[in-house]
Amino acid sequence: MTGAVGLGTSALVQDDDILLAVRDLKKHFPVKEGALQQVVGQVKAVDGVSFDLRRGETVGLVGESGCGKTTLGRCVSGLTDPTFGGVYFSLPTDKRRQLDELLALPAGLRTESDQANLARLEESHRVDVMKGDAWRRYRRNCQVVFQESFASLNPRQLIKDIVGRPLRVHKEASGSDLTEKVVELLEQVGLGRQHLYRYPHQFSGGQRQRISIARALALDPELVVLDEPTSALDVSVQAQILNLLHELQTERGLTYLFITHDLSVVRHMADRIVVMYVGKVAEKGPTDVIFNRPEHPYTDALLASSPEFDRSTVSMQALEGSIPDPARPPQGCRFHTRCPVATPACGWEVDDVVLWLEDVEGTFEDLHSVSRNDAFDAWLTFDDQGGAQRLAAALRTDAIPAAMQAALEEVTVDEARVRIRFAEVDEVQLTARGPNHQAACVLDRSGSRPQN
Amino acid sequence: MSLAGADSATQPTERVAVASVEDLRVHFRSKAGTVHAVDGVSFDIADGETLGLVGETGCGKSVTARSFLRLVPMPPGIQAGGSIMFRPHRSCSACRGEGCEVCRHSGRVPEACQACSGTGCEKCEQTGQHTVDLLTLSEKQLQDIRGNRIAMIFQDPGKALNPALPIRDQVAEVFYQHRTHDLLADAGLDDAGPLLIRRATLKTRRFEDAILALPPLRARRNKLMAAVDTRIADALAETQIPNPRKVMDRYPHELSGGMRQRVMIAQALACDPDLLIADEPTTALDVTVQARILELVRELQQRHKTSVLYISHDLSLVREVCDRIAVMYAGRIVEVAATESIFDDPRHPYTQGLLAAIPAATHERGALVAIAGNVPELIDPPPACRFAGRCDYEASACRENDPTLAQVAPAHDVACFIHHPAPGEERNPSFDRPLR
Amino acid sequence: MVDVPTKVAHIPVRESAFRVKARRAGLLALSLLKNPTTVAGLTLIVLLLGVAVFAPLLAEPNTPDAYQMPRDWGAIAAPPGTPDHPLGTTNVGGDVLYGIIWGARTSLRLSVIVVSITVVVGVTVGSIAGFRGGRIDEVLMRIVDVFLSIPELIFALAIAAVLGPSFRNIILALAVVFWVKYARIMRAQIVHVKENEYVDAARVVGDSGWRIYFKDILPNSITPVVVQATLDMGNIVLVGATLSFIGLSEAGIAEWGVLVSEGQAGISAGRWWASTFPGLMVFLWALAFNLFGDGLRDVLDPKTETSR
Repeated sequence: MTGAVGLGTSALVQDDDILLAVRDLKKHFPVKEGALQQVVGQVKAVDGVSFDLRRGETVGLVGESGCGKTTLGRCVSGLTDPTFGGVYFSLPTDKRRQLDELLALPAGLRTESDQANLARLEESHRVDVMKGDAWRRYRRNCQVVFQESFASLNPRQLIKDIVGRPLRVHKEASGSDLTEKVVELLEQVGLGRQHLYRYPHQFSGGQRQRISIARALALDPELVVLDEPTSALDVSVQAQILNLLHELQTERGLTYLFITHDLSVVRHMADRIVVMYVGKVAEKGPTDVIFNRPEHPYTDALLASSPEFDRSTVSMQALEGSIPDPARPPQGCRFHTRCPVATPACGWEVDDVVLWLEDVEGTFEDLHSVSRNDAFDAWLTFDDQGGAQRLAAALRTDAIPAAMQAALEEVTVDEARVRIRFAEVDEVQLTARGPNHQAACVLDRSGSRPQN
Repeated sequence: MSLAGADSATQPTERVAVASVEDLRVHFRSKAGTVHAVDGVSFDIADGETLGLVGETGCGKSVTARSFLRLVPMPPGIQAGGSIMFRPHRSCSACRGEGCEVCRHSGRVPEACQACSGTGCEKCEQTGQHTVDLLTLSEKQLQDIRGNRIAMIFQDPGKALNPALPIRDQVAEVFYQHRTHDLLADAGLDDAGPLLIRRATLKTRRFEDAILALPPLRARRNKLMAAVDTRIADALAETQIPNPRKVMDRYPHELSGGMRQRVMIAQALACDPDLLIADEPTTALDVTVQARILELVRELQQRHKTSVLYISHDLSLVREVCDRIAVMYAGRIVEVAATESIFDDPRHPYTQGLLAAIPAATHERGALVAIAGNVPELIDPPPACRFAGRCDYEASACRENDPTLAQVAPAHDVACFIHHPAPGEERNPSFDRPLR
Repeated sequence: MVDVPTKVAHIPVRESAFRVKARRAGLLALSLLKNPTTVAGLTLIVLLLGVAVFAPLLAEPNTPDAYQMPRDWGAIAAPPGTPDHPLGTTNVGGDVLYGIIWGARTSLRLSVIVVSITVVVGVTVGSIAGFRGGRIDEVLMRIVDVFLSIPELIFALAIAAVLGPSFRNIILALAVVFWVKYARIMRAQIVHVKENEYVDAARVVGDSGWRIYFKDILPNSITPVVVQATLDMGNIVLVGATLSFIGLSEAGIAEWGVLVSEGQAGISAGRWWASTFPGLMVFLWALAFNLFGDGLRDVLDPKTETSR
């Protein structure tokens, strides 16, 4: 039923015609401390994300605040340089195959000619490396519509100058020619000649967002990154803008990367959806599959939490707890700390015990220090023996989640110290769950679910 | 529904609204003219119900909510008329607030009118209950109601909490302000010296603290502090904050958004208020956290039988928590009805438009039903329907007369000429088109 | 808290950017004139500038150097009302009126030169620090901190004293002291303004750093500098007069501080006029620019601007 929606565009999309490819993209921000601004850690805002944008389709990038979707959007639009990996624009199919083959090789195994090939590919297609004509071409073809229409329009410029600026920068038009082109653009977004000589503050929120869209379309780009374009708008105005965006897409064959936290909007607009959680992709797939047969418990939770879609596949409650610190994300599955269906194989670690202790009255105050061998193995030192014994006892009872208990491989009490060792688990990788559908979860529910 | 019981001198046969807003008008002076932000809003909040006040940006819902506690800055605001009648309750003496038949398990009973001791008079509008007009009350009397009988939670708990104070001090304030004697009783200090009381009631306590820290008084102060801590921990625990005694010592910035909102709720419900005003309490939160907070509000509302005024721009959200919904547009209420009626049988074209604009599974892409145009300026508006100009069913009557709320179905009021033509007007034939 | 829809002015279709911008400037001027204290300040400024500009017409220039006080050795310490000396003379025969009129010209010269130098230097340094950020920012701002840690007057005094008494050195000393303020203001503004999404939007369009600076960042961050420059037009004359008074200027030039200093010796003997009139002029000059600067600040405040 939901599957029928959105076929209008996806029918035109060629499976292999990829406009933009994101490969293992990482963006880490250093955490600085003290007077000397020493780097004490890295906030892993985006931590290894890959996906493709096909020409003419809309990909929805969904997640909660802090999941890295905005940083990812900035990397795609060339506003931020990634720490690792890259965004590749307009790669022909054969070159993309070559790139994927080269990237699949570990850096040490690449021959000299491989290196040269990779460098040549990256020079003309990788967004943060390209220069000159390649960069200008990319700049013309990738535009952004920002969330805050008020902040994204220079308050001291007239609408004509704002919308005409891309044309002027790329020397597309000038003089009265420019004015006519701007009028044409304004008319396409439902404004007109009478708005040319006004300042942004003279418009309502919806109109300002139309102006932003007109500016983004001025250079006739192929890709538009929409960063929460309707989050600041009222629902009735949001409907106008969404209709406009769709209309423009069908007219001009635009490709959209639609970043939003609003599931009802993304279901309406996107052909495919990428769900992010703490810098990683939790699940990606076609819109109707994500909404009707989600594989990742986090997607489930998102759907269950939105008042519009109270129809989750597993009966579950709203999520407990909060998003993990992106400077120290869990090693295994990043969602296991809040997951209602977590298993022993999800990567339980020492931090989970510490966090659990924090929420229990009494014992945490006695915790003196934690010395880690690694994320899964550590000695917890308490102020006295009582604390250590209380913890060891609690770890053997139902006080902690059953999955955590099952993952515990060793609990040793040595006077005021407790050694805790969990089973070591690798990072959970995205695995195929269906055509174009991947999820990063140790559980495979597709088998157990009745087919519909 | 009857309120039985010998506890109260009054025995009204009907549940009296805990608050009645009557023709509220709040205007703002601006360079361009007077902005009629709230322009003749009337509604009742029944005892124990959750009323949703829904509308888009600038419709006046927040100003209406803030008027309850007179939090609208004046100037630029102008109180241009109307009243907000509030009927405070007190703890039920039959069950000491535990909940019994008398107080319908809410632990609270209405206070009797002081003028007529419950027989019904002018002053209490024949309800027999103590009634005050929040708009004309003295600042001192209002202080007793704020945070005590009426509490408020805000959209951004990061801004509503003082960043320089630990959670303990912020929640303690409420108890010191409104529960001084309970606190002293908790601490077993019946013969509390004047200093202790001063400490508990004054905002700045540096001087008192210094004296109370002296050895002969220190023990008593510590008892008081312990009593406060217990109350705070209980209040925090009720909002399902884990390990409240540890959270108490944290500063707001050390807590997550959801946690901060829980602290706000704990603070608001600490004195068991009669009315809780929630102004977009989950708008700044992520969906998964929002779901948790909504559940919590619903749960606490049912346990305490608190009346709630829930302000939101999100209809689908309000549906989850509210018994009744009032839809606001451009400073007016255009429709009031039970939640199901609003969703199943919306009568006002604006309500219909709002519901249709939410992207649903059934909408084809690019075919959302948008309301054309923009919200009108509210600067010295003409006497016409505020929705005229954006309405599909507009007729000449709509541009010349101002529709008022009138009943169109049981407990369903709408301000639209489609349902009740203006006096002396024929029903416009275009109205006979079926509403979508 | 309250989202009041802004009044959208009705603008006819035939319109040009120039007209709109002129109208905006006109509206700005109009709202400036609504405040009576601003108008008072502006009136005073016009009068004082008039005196400075028309000095050669108001008082016959001394030869060979008009900025040197003429000496009338026949009328030493004459009281106000003396023929040819309506405001009296100093105890070395300097005409007080001449000193006041040509002193206005000196003050104008002083303030315009110092403000121009300091604004250009300060804005440049502040812009580099704010726009580039990183290490350059750190270094520049530490330098600014060092300058700011020394009180203005004492710093200027020390520099002028080291350089030796001359009017040119006073200008130099004031320039060295006053630029840091602008650097600080400009940097703070730019750090804030460059966070705006319209700067990102300009980068996405492919505009160069220079044009982004001049189109998006500078116009949106210059307002506080303009206000500060207006206030400093007054302050600089005040500080300059103080330095002259102490004797860091050449003796005998037509400058208010010098005049006050010349007349100071006679005050105990009842010859009040030689110090009072130039002192009053310093006061009026500082007052005028402060009144106007305050009014300007109110009008240029972006919060009030958007609602207009």
